[in-house]
Amino acid sequence: MLFVTGGASSGKRAYLKTLGYADEDMADAVIDARPVVYNVQAMAARDPENCMELLEALLQKEVVVCDEVGGGVIPATPRERAIREQTGRLSILLAQSAQRVVRLVCGVPTVLKG
Amino acid sequence: MRILITGGASSGKSTYAEALARGLCAPRYYIATMRPYGEEGLAKIRRHRAGRADKGFITIERDTDIASLSLPARGTALLECMCNLTANEMFDENTFAMRDPYDDIMAGVRALEAQCAHLIVVTNEIGCAGCAYDEPTKRYIDVLGRLNQALAARFDSVCELVCGIPVTLKGELPCVPFDPS
Repeated sequence: MLFVTGGASSGKRAYLKTLGYADEDMADAVIDARPVVYNVQAMAARDPENCMELLEALLQKEVVVCDEVGGGVIPATPRERAIREQTGRLSILLAQSAQRVVRLVCGVPTVLKG
Repeated sequence: MRILITGGASSGKSTYAEALARGLCAPRYYIATMRPYGEEGLAKIRRHRAGRADKGFITIERDTDIASLSLPARGTALLECMCNLTANEMFDENTFAMRDPYDDIMAGVRALEAQCAHLIVVTNEIGCAGCAYDEPTKRYIDVLGRLNQALAARFDSVCELVCGIPVTLKGELPCVPFDPS
């Protein structure tokens, strides 16, 4: 699995297009037959307490894309804080199992692993 | 050796800082700065305590005034974290009156450096959300950003954790066994 991270609108899907994936290959926050799933942070935000249950299905994908959400000031509400922390934990597990981890910064891919 | 560890929330900073400290000389002091506000804060403290329970740290709880801290022996100190320490020093617990804690915190860091062989400081990336914050929050971001710059300039190594992966930004980091999960 290739794990792609980076801030919002940092060029993650544009990067995947350079690897040959098209829009129709990319599923928006839903796990289906398409090889790429993106906006995993939105999946985690729906149910932060149980989002680790997504891990097994995500590990079956060719590519998983999740926004980096841990930057910025600590959010004011417990739910926002929980979403941020659980998204971070899920990202750690995805990165740990991925063959390759790429982070996008201003559209520039940096390989962090693999 | 002095190491600054930064990164976003839940990116593996604490676990990595502890792994680094285990590879450096004993005794190992864990300087905990978090004030236990509410059940969420207590749960976080419990989680961190459990995470380092069998790792041989001597925990010192000190939410302000690091400069007056006296370490019993010369070893490795892990200060966790600058974000809590800065908030504690900056805002009065009862009145929320605000002051600039930069000089006091830097004096605290210098005092710690003088008493240990190795110092690891954990901080946080908080300047990149781009939201319109209120004035106290803007000033907090500014102080923490200035402290981060000063520490990074002063220390031997700087590392950012991204999804549990340490990315070296300055200097070199010891190679240690590290499981971010």
